[in-house]
Amino acid sequence: MNRRTFSCIICPNGCEIQVAHENGQIIEITGNKCPKGVDYVRQELTDPRRTIASSVRIAGAELPLCSVRLTKPVPKKDLFAVMEEINKVDLTAPAHIGDVVIKNVCGLDSDVIVTKEMERIS
Amino acid sequence: MNTREVVIVGGGPAGLAAAAELKALGVDDILIIEREKNLGGILRQCIHDGFGLTRFGETLSGPEYSQRFIDQVKEMGIEAITNATVIDISPDKVVTADTTEGLLKIQAKAIVLTMGCRERTRGALAIPGTRPSGIYNAGVAQSYMNLFNKMVGKNIVIMGSGDIGLIMARRLTLEGAHVSAVIEILPYPSGLPRNIEQCLHDYDIPLYLGYSVIDIQGEPRIERVIAAKVGENGKLVEGSEIEFPCDTLILSVGLIPENELSLSAGVVLDDRTKGAVVDENYQTSVPGIFAAGNVLHVHDLVDFVSLEAEDLAKGVFQYLRDGKLEENEIPVCAGENIGHVIPQKISGKKDIQMSLRVRKPVGRCKVVVKQAGRELKTVSMPKAIPAEMIQFRVKAEAFVSSEPVEVMINE
Amino acid sequence: MENLYDVVVVGGGVVGSAVARELSRYQLKICVLEKELDVCNGVSGRNTGLLHSGILSGDQPVRTECCIEGNAEFDQVAKELDVPFKRCGKLIVGFGEEEKQCLQQLYQHGLECGIPGIRMIDADEIKAIEPNADGDTGIYVPTAGILCPYTYTIALAENAAQNGVEYHFDQKVTAISRTPGGEYEIQTENGMWRSRWVVNCAGLFAYQISVMLGFEAYVPKRVKGEYEILDKKAGKFLSVPIYPAPGKAGDCDIHITPTVDGNILVGPTLEDVDETIDYSATQEKIDQLMEQGARLFPRHVKREYFIRNYAGIFPYVADPGIQERVDFQIQAREDIPHAVNVVGISTPGLTSALPIARRVVEKVKEQEELRPNEAFNPVRKGIVRFAEQTDEEKMRLIEEDPDYGEIYCRCECVTKAEIKQAVHNILGVSTVSGIKYRTRATMGRCQGGYCETRLTAMIEKELQQDVKDILLNQKGAYMFVGKVK
Repeated sequence: MNRRTFSCIICPNGCEIQVAHENGQIIEITGNKCPKGVDYVRQELTDPRRTIASSVRIAGAELPLCSVRLTKPVPKKDLFAVMEEINKVDLTAPAHIGDVVIKNVCGLDSDVIVTKEMERIS
Repeated sequence: MNTREVVIVGGGPAGLAAAAELKALGVDDILIIEREKNLGGILRQCIHDGFGLTRFGETLSGPEYSQRFIDQVKEMGIEAITNATVIDISPDKVVTADTTEGLLKIQAKAIVLTMGCRERTRGALAIPGTRPSGIYNAGVAQSYMNLFNKMVGKNIVIMGSGDIGLIMARRLTLEGAHVSAVIEILPYPSGLPRNIEQCLHDYDIPLYLGYSVIDIQGEPRIERVIAAKVGENGKLVEGSEIEFPCDTLILSVGLIPENELSLSAGVVLDDRTKGAVVDENYQTSVPGIFAAGNVLHVHDLVDFVSLEAEDLAKGVFQYLRDGKLEENEIPVCAGENIGHVIPQKISGKKDIQMSLRVRKPVGRCKVVVKQAGRELKTVSMPKAIPAEMIQFRVKAEAFVSSEPVEVMINE
Repeated sequence: MENLYDVVVVGGGVVGSAVARELSRYQLKICVLEKELDVCNGVSGRNTGLLHSGILSGDQPVRTECCIEGNAEFDQVAKELDVPFKRCGKLIVGFGEEEKQCLQQLYQHGLECGIPGIRMIDADEIKAIEPNADGDTGIYVPTAGILCPYTYTIALAENAAQNGVEYHFDQKVTAISRTPGGEYEIQTENGMWRSRWVVNCAGLFAYQISVMLGFEAYVPKRVKGEYEILDKKAGKFLSVPIYPAPGKAGDCDIHITPTVDGNILVGPTLEDVDETIDYSATQEKIDQLMEQGARLFPRHVKREYFIRNYAGIFPYVADPGIQERVDFQIQAREDIPHAVNVVGISTPGLTSALPIARRVVEKVKEQEELRPNEAFNPVRKGIVRFAEQTDEEKMRLIEEDPDYGEIYCRCECVTKAEIKQAVHNILGVSTVSGIKYRTRATMGRCQGGYCETRLTAMIEKELQQDVKDILLNQKGAYMFVGKVK
């Protein structure tokens, strides 16, 4: 049996969660204010996932970059592969919040979407 | 001269929320003045997610969060001028703004101050060393990277563990830079635990707690930073120096409410918060001038900024309706291990929202509100850290007299 | 022949620029070779910005004479060149009997030198002149004033440029030789320049150029001074500079000086340094500034007012023989024709720049006749500062150019129009600090937190610069490694 302390990243409470676990199974858990903490720890033990926020080039807007994010967390190990895909994108204004920039990025069942309203200025 | 019921200075999260709430209360003649070309304030460059859990029950990026308020303000038909910088506010509530159309002068009945905050700089800290290029405040680096498409460096050291610094550690790493250290002078982090986890631990970025940057070297571009351990007596531990080679130093060493305009209006500031002294209506020392958000005190989360500004709207509404607000004479003082408390003055006749921060981290503790030796309210906390703002409401019935109210932490 | 000048001035500091400007009154093809990327990056930009009276110039006649002359004419100079200047006077204060005696001696010396209007004053009078000053004896020096050293240097350089002088930056002089035909060949790191005349105004490096030209091998006796700049919030509390009684070497230790822009300077600390140019700030000196500054200006030398620190190095030189600090040297020698050697111009070099320049012109005239440049115009206009205008004037400016309606630097209230004019300055300077010195953008309490991104975007757009080529202040001081995407 292993013991580990997690800082939950689900919400700003940032609960410090003490966990006893074995083979990816939670044996004992304390310190979480809500059930989301249990889900978080379970996920961390078996398949840690994160989301990414970045930006992509955009032409014809007031600024040269348009912000984007993932719609769902992806496995932590794939973050840089996703970044490589994001880096290839070129947009042309206008762009709107929610516009899908890359569908199902790297086959990870998560989309890259626009997070900022970018009007066309030229 | 133009006149307005309310002029809101700053179209960031606080200003937008105040405007929408005022309109909802029935105030029609509102003008938001924003210096950037777009509304949204600092959130435009905060492209990471984690905003909105409290206010909207979902996690959004900064631009998405602010867009919700921008859309609301637009739908409600609230007037906002952008690319216009307020350069003066007079004590009799004349607002002067510089715009490409000319110098705009508006006589306001009420003014809402929502200018946000600025970053503490290297100069303010008087860090010894050379003055090379490659030293950036975290927010400036964030603006360069997220708005202007300029990459500030490749080998990064971050001084200070404030949230923007942590967020930038992750941003820089994702965009291909190497962050070799985050150096924090205090024995505990200044940023939120979740940011330590997902911005540093996730990318194996070491955090040096209790280390002070004692020298900056290199010219014309920064080449290294020297840090030394701070002993328990506050003095540097001899022989503890560590050299961090780098081409860029990012500073995340604190935020200061931006109150130059408040001062020109004659608003009295609190030495602790560096923001205005306000009462339970968020009214400053100048009747009819109100403040909320980061210009009042630096918040940990934008959700609380919006909520505070919405709260402020009620006071402004009442002021406009009655022509004045009742004076609040009961001082609220920060006691044991409390950095500051908002509001600083109350009437004792209204439910109030108290916002405060602890000075140093404590474990299981109670926040105690006292008046005349009596405990009015206690809030139990599993832990309290300076990075997190503590908020709770105190009911009007709780107050027993007009004696000063004190807030403290009991361990 | 290409690159053949009548005069090459080595060094684009305040003296070099004053010399170039004064020489441009004559029909001469002149250029200034400056090793940095802008004027006033050395001594001229790193000092207290005081218009000295001459009382502190010691027993050095040239120094004193130039200073008094420069002081007397400065109202007119400031007007011609459109530079901010306040003749605010100055207090030299002492505590205790020893310092009182020292001040009395200094006062006598001042009378002998003919410093106008000076008088001994007591504690009450000190308070009457400046309620926030301290001390029990003082000398009041009414002719002293404050100016902005880089604005003044830039103004001289721009006026010189308007009158035909060329400025070449990034031209560090490495060797000077004289051809059999009598021309000078000036080798720089980036080229070769030919000239009939050479004037050495190289400031900290003048002793090296002196040797290259064949003049004496002066020994550098450099003194480093660290300063702290305080917020305008502290500036409100001080109307005149406060100096302590001079120490044994005649140097005035840490003083408190209001700037023309409303800040406060605390410093300089004084420390003998070797030939390494090191402008680093040190913890020890920062602490010293706090402590000694608070003695002269109690209650207002506070850390919360700190905006920035900086250091300067004063280019004193010693005579190679007696090893003592020499007076200002403005030399021409028969065996070194067509060369003027200006060495040892430390404080009050700023006040003395134009008088020195006129003496340089005299030296030239001793060797050849100069024909006046009929087109010479002594008047230079600076960038109109939005922040300093009345509301009516502001409205007029915005109407004329809507870019005045966009604030780029919020702390100093600098508009887009001013930044744009600075980016297109006549000297062709394109560094971020070049814009800063020409507009005050980034100089406020947020230190560019708000405006620096706008400044760099303006440089990128207006000058079509690649982001990698944008420099903070000097070669190699790159701001960015490239684009993010």
